[in-house]
Order: sequence, then structure tokens, then C-alpha cells
Amino acid sequence: MQKTKKSPDFVIVVAILLLLTIGVMMVYSASASMAFHKYGDSFYFAKRQLLFAALGVFFMFLVTNVDRKKLYDMAKPAVIICFILLVIVLIPGVGIWRNGARSWLGIGAFSIQPSEFTKLAMIFFLAKLFSQPTFQIGRFRKGFLPAMGILGGAFGLIMCQPDLGTGTVLVGTGILLIFVAGAKMKHLGGFALLGVAGFTGLVLEATYRIKRITSFFDPWSDPQGTGYQLIQSLYAIGPGRLLGLGFGMSRQKHLYLPEPHTDFIFSILSEELGFLGITIVITLFGVLIWRGYRTAIRAQDLFSCLVATGITSMLMIQVVINIGVVSGTFPVTGITLPFLSYGGSSLTLTLVAVGILLNLSRNTNR
Amino acid sequence: MRAIQSIVKKRLFVVLIIAVLVMFTLIGRLSYVQLAQGEWWAQKAEELGSRDADFLAKRGMILDRDGKKIAYNISTPSVLLFPAMIKDKAGTAKKLAEVLGGDEKKILEFVSKKESKVWLKGVGQKIPEGKAKILQGMQLPGVLITEDSKRYYPYGTMAAHMLGFTGGDNQGLAGLELIYDKQLSGQKGYISFASNAKGERMPDSKEEFIAPKPGKDLRLTLDLDVQSIIERELDQAMAQYKPESVLAIAMDPNNGEILGMSSKPSFRPDEYQTTDSLIYNRNLPIWKTYEPGSTFKIITLAAALEEKKVNLTESFHDPGYVMVSGARLRCWKKGGHGHESFLEVVENSCNPGFVELGNRLGKNKLLDYINRFGFGKKTGIDLNGEAKGILFKPERMGPVEQATTAFGQGVSVTPIQQVRAVSAAVNGGKMVVPHVMREWVDPDSGKVLEAYQPKVESTVISEATSKMVRESLESVVAKGTGRKAFVDGYRVGGKTGTAQKVGPNGGYLPNNHIVSFIGFAPADDPKIVVYVAVDNPQGIQFGGVVAAPIVGNIIGDSLRHMGVPKRKNQIPPEDTPLTTPIVETPDLIGQELDKIRNSLFDFPLKTVGKGNVVIDQIPAPGERVKKGSSIQLYLGDKTEIGD
Repeated sequence: MQKTKKSPDFVIVVAILLLLTIGVMMVYSASASMAFHKYGDSFYFAKRQLLFAALGVFFMFLVTNVDRKKLYDMAKPAVIICFILLVIVLIPGVGIWRNGARSWLGIGAFSIQPSEFTKLAMIFFLAKLFSQPTFQIGRFRKGFLPAMGILGGAFGLIMCQPDLGTGTVLVGTGILLIFVAGAKMKHLGGFALLGVAGFTGLVLEATYRIKRITSFFDPWSDPQGTGYQLIQSLYAIGPGRLLGLGFGMSRQKHLYLPEPHTDFIFSILSEELGFLGITIVITLFGVLIWRGYRTAIRAQDLFSCLVATGITSMLMIQVVINIGVVSGTFPVTGITLPFLSYGGSSLTLTLVAVGILLNLSRNTNR
Repeated sequence: MRAIQSIVKKRLFVVLIIAVLVMFTLIGRLSYVQLAQGEWWAQKAEELGSRDADFLAKRGMILDRDGKKIAYNISTPSVLLFPAMIKDKAGTAKKLAEVLGGDEKKILEFVSKKESKVWLKGVGQKIPEGKAKILQGMQLPGVLITEDSKRYYPYGTMAAHMLGFTGGDNQGLAGLELIYDKQLSGQKGYISFASNAKGERMPDSKEEFIAPKPGKDLRLTLDLDVQSIIERELDQAMAQYKPESVLAIAMDPNNGEILGMSSKPSFRPDEYQTTDSLIYNRNLPIWKTYEPGSTFKIITLAAALEEKKVNLTESFHDPGYVMVSGARLRCWKKGGHGHESFLEVVENSCNPGFVELGNRLGKNKLLDYINRFGFGKKTGIDLNGEAKGILFKPERMGPVEQATTAFGQGVSVTPIQQVRAVSAAVNGGKMVVPHVMREWVDPDSGKVLEAYQPKVESTVISEATSKMVRESLESVVAKGTGRKAFVDGYRVGGKTGTAQKVGPNGGYLPNNHIVSFIGFAPADDPKIVVYVAVDNPQGIQFGGVVAAPIVGNIIGDSLRHMGVPKRKNQIPPEDTPLTTPIVETPDLIGQELDKIRNSLFDFPLKTVGKGNVVIDQIPAPGERVKKGSSIQLYLGDKTEIGD
């Protein structure tokens, strides 16, 4: 296994740095007026974004040199710790309630979301599980079912917070991993039916989720209520047209669009930089995803292959859901756009994940 | 570690393909929104911006010709909530309740509303400056302290129909507020939420901050004093005659400037919803159409004079009726006016005389003049809801129709058309366009941005003819049917009108008339034309009795206010048992009271002060007053005047 190491995938590094640059700029543009009046400093959010990006990039390169053996060994304890944290966060008084969900642990700026860590830990754990010599994903009771079980457990805990966005990313990533690992299509098909039924149940159980769905199909049915965010987002994207209103010229970031620098940063980007700007950003994401799966295909062992698949899939799912939501392609759910949305610890964590991808890219065939 | 089976690579390839497809789908979707629908969304976003009060410009004021404010905005700090932006609804409601006082639960209801913006009604409206400052300092997300502006009409119902009114978002809905809504509303601006709340500009020049452009101030031709005189007279007429409605127009005949215009019943523009919509939707002076009656004879007279078909000294015999195609058209006076000159035909408003004038003109000339005097089409006044009226079509006009048209029956016209036509008849033949907009004023500098350019559409008669019309109409007031409009010294000319109303079945309604009078003054150089119509007055139903005195009062008081000097060379009013002669006051200053008492003055005297010598008197010596008016004498002991 230990051959001479190559340098990390240069294309991924360039794409990430470009995305981070665009991200810091857009966070600045989207949050400047709000930041100035809330904190007396238009650069309040931009500075923090830059800080966390720098920190993330530092960790990213640090992780690039870690021995993969260590990753393989810590997969199991990591997922156990995550499960414990997912339980602890649910305890009222311990978990911090933010934006309608109890999903934070810690104090003030030093708080983390266990669900974010769980996504990464789950990738390692499943990859390790599937690369056990005795494990047969093709078998139902001794392969498919246990994998789905552990994934379902984590998803269940996250839905208790509740955080549908992160839960969806977790499940999506896990299922892609199971699929790639070689699960039987009839098992996956059966599960898909079950999943549709379960998802319907979850949606029907919470009225706000029903409204998100209905508002997605007809935002104008309730433009002031649940359709609000979608319509406001489209008010930003539409007028951007080909070239955009120009950097800093967004109107929707003032007052109309909630959280312009987090979940809806892509809308502001569309408004200010137009179709040209978003094509560049989507292309960068596309390049990242292509290089990620390329790393997986060229990996020298199954564990590396599956970890690369998991990290790439996780990023892809987040990008697709976020852009899908703000452009009215999917129902509204709160997911940040990797590398662009403001968000301290999750940005750093995402960059660490990319660092692992880079690490794996050093040990590929050809 | 395990090696990678081939199925893994295959499936990875499938995932990669799917990922690429999804990416292209997203790009496709975005290109649809931005490129195909972009224009539409941009337009919608513009509208969205204009819906928010805090983005709206200050609405321009409406001023009278001297700059007095007749419509303006009162604004007070109020709380505007953006519920979608408020995450912590209970906490926000609690903080608001602490500062504003009031019920926390009620506030929570507003905070939780499913609307993009909500005014916090009640405690959140018209809040004191101190509380507004505290709230601004708290910077609660989704809570904006902004000016809640309301249109205010300080004079209540005055000129209500002309001004119109605005809706809930201060948008013009009727009258001038509607016609000039665009200029009055100004241009909305883009202000960021935070910067608006603090009223500061963005520190970064890249941030767009387009301040709203306030609406322009609209200065009218309306003279608030003339308008109040009109309102006063109409209110009095409503009380005295209990008619269905009254209306009045005062216009400067030389340029078409409306000096005053009103109708009753009226409404308060700021509470228009409390009034019957039939009242606020109908601006009677420009909307109402009816038979003008004898006031229309002015047109026939002007046409006949211009065409030299008549000499006013020419004589005419009125047997009390005239036969037209076998139909017997009666004069309003039983038995007729007998032998008279054509000037007396005008003074007496003699119908057979005007039928004769119509005959001399002929159908085509008569119709031609009626059209040229602007009947049958809108005058173009800058108010909404103007009617056109109805004329006989030439092919349907037989001898009877021609005859009745000549004295003002069978045609249907609006008050403003009559005012415009009579203005042309007395101003030298110029067809001016009635208007109420005088100029647009910059609200900040007070500079005039744009002034109305008076238009003369055409010239219908010569100045010489116009002069004859003025003089004959002055004698109508001095000697004829318009006596009650006489104002001493102002040379009032005018014409009465009494027209039967046409009922729903097309026939005339019994005992239901619109009585009117149109007057102008001074006859040598008209400065004002006043038209008054009273619809179905209870009791007396003659224009000369009901409408003429109202016009007289309006003209007299208005010209005094406008500073028009009195004339000496008026046609002296004819003495009749019905009129009060005008006399000059004697000079009593310096005379002894005893002597005055013994003289033959028939003025009632009132004395002020003690003494035996008059040191001053009101009215002053030589002033013209109605016979029987009292004179107030100020007494003292004058010794310096030696006797």
C-alpha cells in the first residue's frame, strides 16, 4: 500500500481556492449592510468567513499528510462518539435551540453541530465496514440491513432535533455509498419504496413540511407565508439575467431575502453576477465533483475508494439541494452551500473533508 | 485491505453520469429563470419594492394658487413589522410590549401574521419620538420604525370632488389625486433595511442607496377664498331650497383657470368610504348633463350677432307663442312680451324672439356654432369623469328641434361646457381650455418646475360681437330677468336658465326643474365667469330668483377679494318693486346730530360715542349701498371746526 506518494490533486486545490474566494466576496456583499448596523462593521461576517476559510485551508493541507491507516482505525470510535453527541444534543438545556431546531452544543462561538461531524464519521464508518473482508453488502440480513440500520439510527436522531436538511444529506450520502459498494438493486428498490412511504409520513406529521411542499408546487398560493422565501429568492435570481446587477448591487439582500449570506447566498450571487456568474460557480463545483469521483475510481483500495466517494457525494448532494431549493427546483429546506455560505465551523469541517479527499488523491493509480 | 471490485467502478461511473446530468438540469433551470423569465421577475421585483411604504416617496402637496395647502401628509413614527424576518416571535413581542406598553398577546398576533409587512396597529402607531428612538436603538430584527404617512385635507369637504382622494397606500383614486398621481407620488427609492432604520447612508460607496424622490407639489388655479365663498353660498342654498343638488363653477374666462368649483352634497376626502359612492364618484360640474335652458340663448345670440343676422335695436313682436311646423311653442310669459326690441328679447329671455334668431341663422349655421362653442365634446379639463353631452344629429334636426335648440331645450350639456362657451362669448371669442393645474413646484426649493401653458383652441366670434354680447347680457342683469345677480359697480352680465328635467321615460318631469344662472363681470373686461345650477329647489323654481342672487354674491365677494376695481359707467339698474335701489351715502362728517335728525335722510342711523358732532361715519361718504342700509355715526365734540 505504501508506495511513493504523489502531490495532491492540483485541480481540486484550485477549484476550492476559487470557490472560497468567491464565497468570501459574496458573504461580504450579502451581509455588509446588515453587519454594519448590527455590529458597526460591514466586514464583520466577511472577516470571520475569511478567518474560518484560512483555518480550514490550513487544516485541509494538514490532513493531506495524515496516514490513511489512522483514518481507518478511528472510524469506529468516531461514529460512536457522534452517536453519543447526537443524543446529548437532544437534552433540553444542554443542546442549544437555534432556528427552530436543537442542534448545537457548546457555548457561543465555540459551539458545534454534532450532525455535521456525524456526516463525516458515517462516511468513514460505512467505508470501513464495506471493506471488511468478510462483509457482504450483497446479502440482505448480514450486509444491506445492518448498513441501513446504522444509517437510519443516525438519521432518526438528527430528525429528533429536527434537522431535515442535514438528515437528508446524511441519508443521501450513505445510500450512494451503499449503492457504489455493490448492494443488490432489489434491496435498494425495496428500500426506496419504504423511504417514500416514510418520507411521506414525516412530511404529513409536521404541517410546516406540508406547507413547504405545497408552496414549492405553487408558491403564489401563499406568497406572504410559506411561499415567501422561494418567491423572494426568485425575485433575486430572475432579475440577475445574463450579466447580473453587478457586484454589491443586490436589492433582495436588503430586507427581503432572509439570511442572504447563509442559505440564500446563491440567490444573491445570481442577482449580482447573473447567469454568467452562476455558470462559473456551478462549473467549479462540477470540476470538484468530477475530480472527487475520479479520485475514487483510481483509488488503490476499497476503503480509499469509498471514502472519496462519500466525501464527493456529500458535497454534491449539498450543492444540488441548495441550488435546487433556491431556484425553486426542490422544496425549501435549510442547507448551506459548501464553500460559499457563511458558517464558521461547518466551513472548516468541509475543508477538512476536502483535505481527506486530497490525501486520497495522492495514492491513486496512474 | 480489500481491492476494488469491478461492480464498484461501474457504479461509481453511473453516479458520476447522474451527477453531471443533475448539474446540467440545475443550469437549465437557472437559465430558464434568469434568461427566459428574467424580464418578468425583474418587473415583479420592481413592483415589490414599490409596495413598501418605507420605500415610497413623500407624496406632493396640493396648493391653491397662493400656495395655501389644501392637501398634504401628516406623518408620525410607527412600527412596521416584517414577520418573515422575526425568528423569535415571543421575545420580540415581549420587548415591543415593554417599550410601547400594551398587551403582549395582541402584539404577538401581529408579529406572527403571515404577511410580508404589517403595521403594528394601535400601540405601534403614532408613537412618541422618545419611544421611537428606544426601539430604533434596540435593532430588533424585522422591526422597522418608519413614518406612517396619511393624506390630510385640512379644509374638510372643501373642493372634495376636485381634489379626489387616496387609497390605503396613498395612491390616487379619484380627482386630481388620480389624474396627477404619477407626479404627486414621486419616485420610490431603494433603501437598505438597516440604513433606513438608522437613517444613515451606507459606509461603502458600492452599496446602493437611492433615496426616494419626493412627489412634486401641485399648485392649482383654484383660489381658496373664491372656493370658500362658493362653498358658503352652496351650503346656504342647500339649506334654503332643499334641492337635490347644487353646483357652481367660477372660471377666469381669459385663460380657463378654474378659480373655484364645487357641488353639494359633498364628502370628506379622508373619509370618503363613509359616503355614498354616487356622491363621491360624480363630480357634478363636469359630469352632469341636462338641458341648459335659457343660458344657452347666449350662444344663439352670439352666433346671430357674429353672422350679422340681427341688429339689437331692430323690433320684434311676441304674441306669446310661435308656430313651427304646426307646433305651437309658447313663450314662458303668458300673453307674450308684445312689441319689443331684440335687446329686450334678450333681457326678457323671450322664446319666440330666439326662435326667430335660430330661423335667421338656419339649421346648419346654428349647429355649426354650437359645435364651435364646444358642445357635444369634452372640454379637456384635467379632471376625471367628464361627460360629453348630447346634441341633435343634423339629419334628425327638423324645424321644431331647431327652434327648441335655439332657446336651449332638447340639447344636453354639462355645466363646464356652458362656462367655457359663455367665456368665449364674452372674452372676445377665444375658446380656452378649462384647467385646474397651474404649475408643478419643487417641494424642496419651491421653484416652479413646469407651468401650465394656456391654450386657445380656436376663435369663434370677433371682439366686436363679443362686446355686443357682454353689453346685452349686462342689461339682462340691470333691467331684465337677471336683476338679482346685480352687484353694484361690478357691471355683472348674465343669463338665467330654467330647464325641465327629463325623466326616465323620456318625458319631462312635472314641477322638477334645474334652475341656473351664468354670470360674468365686469362687463367691460370680464375677470370671472360664475355658473350656478340648483337641481329641483323646493318652492320657487326660477333661475332668476334662486340662482341669480347666488351668482351675484359669488361674483361680488370674489371680485372684491381679487381686488378688481369697481366701475363707474355701469348700466343703472331698473327700479322695480322687486329690487332695492342702490344709493350713495351722504357726507355727514362734521355735521351736528340735531341738524341731521331734522333732515330728510331715509337712512337708519346708529350712533357710537357721545357728543353732538359727527367725526366719522361707516360706510364712508359717497359709498354706494342698498337703500335702507344703516349708517353708523361716530360722535364727538368737535370744536376746532369753527362755525
